[in-house]
Formats: sequence, structure tokens, C-alpha cells
Amino acid sequence: MSTKTPSKADILRPIGTFSKKYLAVYSVAALGLIAFLIAWAYQLQKGLIVTGLGDWGTGGGATWGLYIGAFIWWVGVAHGGIILSASVRLLGMDRYMPVARIAEMTTIGGLSAAGFYILVHMGRPDRMVTSVLGHFHITVNNSPLVWDVTVITAYFVLSATYLGLTIRYDVNRLRDDLPDKFEPIYKIITFGYSEKEDEIIQRMVWWLAAAVIIMAPLLLHGGVIPWLFSLLPAMPAWTGGIQGPMFLSIALMSAISGVMIISYTFRRVYNWEHIITDDIFRGLLLWLGFFTLLFLWFQLQSVLNGVFLGPLNTAHAAEGKMAHPAYQVAMTMIFLTLVYIFLQAIRPALFSKTRALIASCAILAGTLTEKILFVVEGFFHPTFDIYTATPGTYFPSLIEILSLVGTASLVALLFLNLAKLVPVVELHAIEHLTGGHDHEHGHEETTKTETEPEVKA
Amino acid sequence: MSTDDESFHPLGQEWEDELETMLDDTEYDSDLGMEMAKDAMRVTKGELSEADFHEKYHEDVMDEFGVDDRPTEEAYEEAKKNAGGFAEMLKSFDGDGDESRRDVMKKMGVGAAAVGLGAWGTAEGGQPNVADESGGHSTEAHREGDTQWGMAIDLERCDGCLSCVRACAQENNLDQGVNWMYVLDYEDGGADTSQNRLVRPCQHCTDAPCEKVCPTTARHTRDKDGLVLTDYDVCIGCRYCQVACPYGVNYFQWDEPDVSTEEIAAEHDGEGDMMVDSRGRWVDSRSPRGTMSKCTMCPSRQDGFSGEDKIGTSACEDACPPDAIQFGNMRDENSDPQRYIENPSRGRALRDLGDKETTAPSLNAIEEDIADADADLASVLEASEDLDEETLRTMKAIEIVTEDFGEGDADSVDYEVHINDIFDLLEEHGLDLDSQEVLVELDLADEPDEGEEFEGADEGDAQDAIDDYDGRPSSSFKLLEDVGTNPNVVYFGNEPGPNAEQVEGPSAYADISYERADGSEPNLVDNRKEEILDEGTVGDAGVSL
Repeated sequence: MSTKTPSKADILRPIGTFSKKYLAVYSVAALGLIAFLIAWAYQLQKGLIVTGLGDWGTGGGATWGLYIGAFIWWVGVAHGGIILSASVRLLGMDRYMPVARIAEMTTIGGLSAAGFYILVHMGRPDRMVTSVLGHFHITVNNSPLVWDVTVITAYFVLSATYLGLTIRYDVNRLRDDLPDKFEPIYKIITFGYSEKEDEIIQRMVWWLAAAVIIMAPLLLHGGVIPWLFSLLPAMPAWTGGIQGPMFLSIALMSAISGVMIISYTFRRVYNWEHIITDDIFRGLLLWLGFFTLLFLWFQLQSVLNGVFLGPLNTAHAAEGKMAHPAYQVAMTMIFLTLVYIFLQAIRPALFSKTRALIASCAILAGTLTEKILFVVEGFFHPTFDIYTATPGTYFPSLIEILSLVGTASLVALLFLNLAKLVPVVELHAIEHLTGGHDHEHGHEETTKTETEPEVKA
Repeated sequence: MSTDDESFHPLGQEWEDELETMLDDTEYDSDLGMEMAKDAMRVTKGELSEADFHEKYHEDVMDEFGVDDRPTEEAYEEAKKNAGGFAEMLKSFDGDGDESRRDVMKKMGVGAAAVGLGAWGTAEGGQPNVADESGGHSTEAHREGDTQWGMAIDLERCDGCLSCVRACAQENNLDQGVNWMYVLDYEDGGADTSQNRLVRPCQHCTDAPCEKVCPTTARHTRDKDGLVLTDYDVCIGCRYCQVACPYGVNYFQWDEPDVSTEEIAAEHDGEGDMMVDSRGRWVDSRSPRGTMSKCTMCPSRQDGFSGEDKIGTSACEDACPPDAIQFGNMRDENSDPQRYIENPSRGRALRDLGDKETTAPSLNAIEEDIADADADLASVLEASEDLDEETLRTMKAIEIVTEDFGEGDADSVDYEVHINDIFDLLEEHGLDLDSQEVLVELDLADEPDEGEEFEGADEGDAQDAIDDYDGRPSSSFKLLEDVGTNPNVVYFGNEPGPNAEQVEGPSAYADISYERADGSEPNLVDNRKEEILDEGTVGDAGVSL
């Protein structure tokens, strides 16, 4: 593979091919989504009683559960994705250019899944437009939930614009090799395109990236999303300024893991070893380790603040959290992953893409568990902890669990569809790889041979 | 704070000028307003008495406004006892109550209102409270209006019978486990053996977190009376209100409610259907599927749909056998809760001695008993079975400490009237309860020293007698006040500490049934999740996170 040179043909391969495997994966994803849609229809018919949720307080339940936990998790994946992509463009991290578009598409997918969860979670989703938009000018002044919906919408628009602008360049140049059946879509994408705009688009994309990076800690996962919880005074498990950095670190961990899994899949299916190189996985894995370290550090800060000398409500919440088996399992899993990442950094021989894949899956599972647990723990250890029925009980119902399958399938379908429509690796990346061969290439050459057998295995 | 300008007002010349400009905008005399303001400051400094202030400006005010409802000297003595004396006085300028406060202030032309009140706060609290008008914790804190429904709950009187929980579920046709009203016993560690019980309706907070976080305005405070309600037609069921409420008073409608709206409407054939309030918004009774509900403090009653006599009452208050719940207007010092707050031991004794339905001495029985007795105190007490010395002393003591005894429209006035009837009976019999002899004998007055005149009843002695009768509450508190919610329920009794944990109470929820509009008579349910909701969960694993 070291002899291969990245070419246009490489990135066009997904569009031009159609295999039984693709059909099989597509069918499975479609089935997953349909299964959940049916389950959701049943939920709409019966009410939210089909979930494992209940009223906190005398009622003995948790008000929010998997739906909200998965919602903030998907938002995290999305926000992390766009931050990753923006960093590539803004900080000139050209090394990761081949996965930048995958990160952007992950953002669109994550936001779609999160938006879907908002609807799934509500008792009366039919009133979304009349009740929420109708009173937006009033509620936006007060309700963190409205801030949330506002920034998510804003970031959807931002990400879609960002993605759309960079795709124009590619579609125009690759137009002759793209299938004619999608002609109307390509026409819309390249509407009014002229080569003169390339430079302007580059500048626009740079500014969009700058906006993403600057606003990430304040308005994205480092701000508005944690404020949904951390601003509430009576739930000590949620309160505190640490939640901002905590959420942001989780977002970046989840997004890097997600991008690694998707990149791994594309590389394997379309033989892109020379495009999405081992070097990229090594680099991403190190970044993952860095954010994992931050995450564990924030966790330590947050629990330590409760258990040492109270105050009582914070102490109860922190003790409850630490004692929870699911929390211990999630943290251990994340910690062991961190250990592996550092070990492979010291001894490169320990690296393999399969291990990187396992690490990514462990991190995703760990962060999802942490998110769901985080939501539920708030209700289990409130300041007003007088009721016998508090802490209550909660376990996701089958429908709630199916929602994870449904949204994962939704994101998979998005990639499966987009892969047949536009290149998932941008043309710029190929141009960069063929033009500027020298950067960091030597490093790649030396490591590749050692790892190759393990990839096959 | 500026001290080097010529301003009479502690907030300085700039503030003063601003007020003068405001006064200039009105059709009334700015000079008079400023002059009054200056003197209002002197009142706060003690250089001028309130009475003199009224005296000085009475004529001018009459000339300017044609009306001066401010207290006369006699009335002033009474007004002085009220907490908001000066504010009340200023409020009395408001003729028809239809104008906004700003209009009223302008109409009064009395910069004194703003200047004086600001100064008042400065003098008394050391902080200019003008700033509080806008700089408070939340904009909601300063809702205008004369009415704020709320409760005073005497936890030491509650016997844990759950009658209130039952009455609420019945009145609102609630599903099982939807305990808008909830009563619990708790242990708080330590050696405290006194009663630990909490009665927990919604606190109808002035700074309600549930309202602040609502993404739709479905959860709102009703302007006219401060009730925190849910518009069931607007609510999207996101449950953020339940998440943000520190008390855990919200109950979501997870599935179709047991009782239909038709059945509820059919139950109420009079005015109103017990669901739609006077503004035409659906805020009362159980909520429909997919929306949030909680204690409403009975808006249909407050809107007069259940009859005039139900205004100012709640289902739980009506149902409470020991009268532990006082529902009423927290902004009216003569309302039941405020009277109770002002003097809780009087409230306790009054109920025990004035409620003829239950514990009060019977008028007829006394009349029969004393018919043949002499007219002196000892004979009357000996003859009457219902009336002993302590009872009569406490009844008289209540009258002594109560202003406008037997007058007003609070529910507890009925008790005062009953006591008055007993007094009238005794007076008719020939026993002069205000005489030196009787008052001294009842320990409600001191025997005058030789050569001195009898000074009448002693209020201190009277209060002592009342305190001795039913006891004073150990403490009063608002629940989780430090969270900043500004609740409108005031409690008497033990405040649950951070380690308080619920224990079994004297009555079990499962033992009590309630009737609903569909004819069903289910039992109350304590843990809704275990007993009701789990049945609907698809694939209930029987385990918990």
C-alpha cells in the first residue's frame, strides 16, 4: 500500500460502487431505524408510561433518563465533531484533513439524532412549533432549555453551511465523475459557482471555523448544554462550574472516538490505507488520551468537592455517585483506555488500529453511561432528600434502549446516503497529500510496516 | 453615598432631581410633593412625628387632590401597629384600584411616595430599598397586585390523617399516586422527640424555578393572585419544571388520566367546569396526557366558580380536621394565614375554643348550665360543665389581644363570633367580664396599687394565658428558603434538617380511598412508580440504575 498514491478515483470509489455488503449494512441500519420508529409510534399512542421514567420526589422515579442522557451525548458527539474539523482548518492541522469531512458529517448526524431525541422525549411533541416557537421571545430570556434548542439550531445551520461550502468545491471539480441520477442535487449544491469564489469560500470557512472554536467553550458543550443542569440550585449532583469543562471534555472524547470508528470503517471498506493513514489514527488516539485525562481530572475535582467536609447535600450526591457500580465500571473502562493510550505512546509497537477501535468503543460506551448516569443521579440525590421514595428507581425500558439503536442507525444511514452522493474525503485532502508529500510522511513509513499484520488480523 | 450635595435624600441630588422631573410631568403640584418628601425624610430621622406629618399636609392634600384618605390621628394609632404603616397610608390615596402603581404615584403627586419610602428603607434597613425594586433575585419577586394566595401550616397541629391528601385527590380527580398534597413523618436524628411531620403542597413560590425554566410559558404565575399554574393547552411535557423544582411537587401525566374531561365537566353543573379558570385557560383539575401537573391552590374556587363562600379556601384546608392549614391572601394582614403568622398560639387557641362544630364550648349547654347560677365568676364556672377557668381566661385573653375582634371576612372570624356569643350570654347573665374583679381573678389584669386607677386588661398577661393554653410553636420557617424560591407557604413546627428521612406516618396512604367523577373509589398510592407506572413500562427489567 505504500506504493499507492491518493487520487481522485480513490475518493470517488464509494460513489461509483454498489455491493451486496453495502446493501446488507443499509438494510440493517434501515431496520434499526424503522424498529425504533414503530416503538416511538407505540409510545405516542400509549404515552411516556412505556418508558422506565417516573416522578422524582414522592413518586419514586427519575424525571429524565436515557432520552436526555443520550440527547446530551449525541450533542456532545456533534459539537466535538465540528470542533475537530474547525481545528483542522483553523490551526492548520493538515495531517487530519482526510477525516475533517467525516467529522463534519458526524456533526450533522449527531445533531439530527439529538434533535430527534428532543421530540422523542416530549409528552406533547405536536406542540413544538406552537408552544416553543410561539413564546420564544419570552422564554429565551429565562429557560436554559430554550437556550439549548437555540444553540443546537444555530450550530446545525453553521455546520451545514460549513459542510455545504466545502462540498461545492469538490462537486464542481468532480462533476464529470459523479452519477447523473443526482444531477438536480448537484445543481443545487453548485448553484452559481464560479472558480473566483474559491478564495472567498476559503476565507468564509476559516471564519466559520474561528466562530466554532471561540464559541465552543461558551455556547456549545462547555456552556449552554451543561447549564441545562448546572444552574439548577437544588440538585447538587449537577451543580457547579466544573460541569462546563467536564461536558466539553466528554464531547471531544466522544467525537474523536466516533470519528475514529467511522474512519476505520471507510478505510477498511474502500482500501484507503494511504488516505486515512495509521498516522491519523495514532494522532487521534493521542488527542483522545489528552481529553480523557482532562475528563478524569474533572471527575476527580467534582467528587472530591463533595466528599471532603460536605456540605451535606453535595456530600450525599458525591457519595451516591462514587458508590454506583455503573459509575465505577464506566470510570474504570475510561481509565484503562487512558492507560493503554499512554503505553502505546511510549511503545509504538503496542499500537494497532484494532486496539484503537476498541479504545474508541470503550470511550463511547463509557461516556454514554456517564451521561445517562449523570442525568439520573441528579434526581436520586436532591437537596430536599427527605422522601422515602428518593432515591427512586430507574432502568431504561426496551423502547428507550431501542432509541439508541434507532439513532445510531439514523447516523449510519446518513453516512451511507452521503457516501453515495458526495466524497466523504475532501478533494483538498487529496490535493494536499499528493502535493505536499513531505510533511510527516517519514514517520508514517517507519510505523506502517510494524502494524500492518495486526490490521489484517 | 454622596454627602456633599444639598439633597435631603440619602440617595443624593441626582435621584431627587429625577423625582422632581417625574412630578413635573404630572398635573399636580411638584413643590408640594417635594416639600412632603423632605418632611417624610424628617419623619424617618425622628425629627417629625408621623401624626404631625399628616396634620401639616392635610389641608394642602385636600386642596390638591380633593381627597385625603390618610389616617386621622385616631386611625393613625392603629395603623402604626401595622407593619406596612406608611405604605398602607400611601396606598390609601388610590381611589378605585384600577390604575397601575406608577399612575397612582403620579396622581398622588407625592414624590413622598417614592422618596419617602426609599428614605424609609434607608433609615430602617441601612440599605436603599429603591434598588431592590429592580435589582432583586428575579423579576417575579415584585409582582403587583393585592392578592397572593398562600398558606400558613401548623405542623404541630397536623395529626397525619391524610384527609387533605384525600380531599385534594377527590376535588381534582387525580390519578393514583399523583399526590399534589402530601403529608409525611420524618426522623431527623438526635434526641428530639417532638413531632416531626411535614405537610407539602406546592409552595407557589414568588420566584418559582419551575416557571423560570419552562420553555413555553405553560408554567406561569397568574397576575391577579400569584398562583403558579400550568396551562395544560400549552405544556409540551418536557418536564423541566419537575427537574427544577427543589421540593418535588410536580407529577407528570405519563398516560391517559383515569377520569375524562367529560366526566369532570358533568360533575360540575354550576358555573365553571373546574378546569378552565376565569381567564379561559385550562389550568385546574388533573392534567391531560403528556403534560405536567401539581397543586394549583384551587383556582376554580378562587375565581368564585364554587360559590362566593369558597373564595379564599382550598380543598385541603376545608378537609383538615384539626384546622392545621390556613389558606388565604398573604398580602392581607387580616387574612387567616397572616393572622396566624402574627400570633400562632392565638390561632391555635381560637380554633379550639371557637369552632363550635368540634371542640368549642357549646352555647346552649352553657346557657342551660348557668341558668340557675349566681352572677359571680366562681358560680358561673362551677355551674358550667363546658366552661372552666382556663377556658374562659383564654377566651377573654384572645379578645384582649385581637384587634377588631369578631370583625372581618377571614374564616377564623366565625370562631371569634362564637366566643363573642358566649361573652354576650355571660354578660346577659350578669357577669361583667371587663370588670376589675373578673379580669384580676382570671389573671388577665393586675390589681391596682392603692390610690391608683385600674388600668384594665394587661395584654402581656393575656398573651401568656394564650401561650399556656395550646403552646407556642417551636419555630416557624419557609421550606428551603435559602434556595431563593420565595415560597408562599409558612410553616410552624420543626423544620426538617438536611438529614431528615421519611418514616411511616400514623395513616397509610393505601388505607384511604377517594371518590372520583367517574364513580371509581381507588385508594391513595404513595410510591407511584412501583405501584402504577411500572405496569406500563415496556420490558420492565425489575432492576434499577
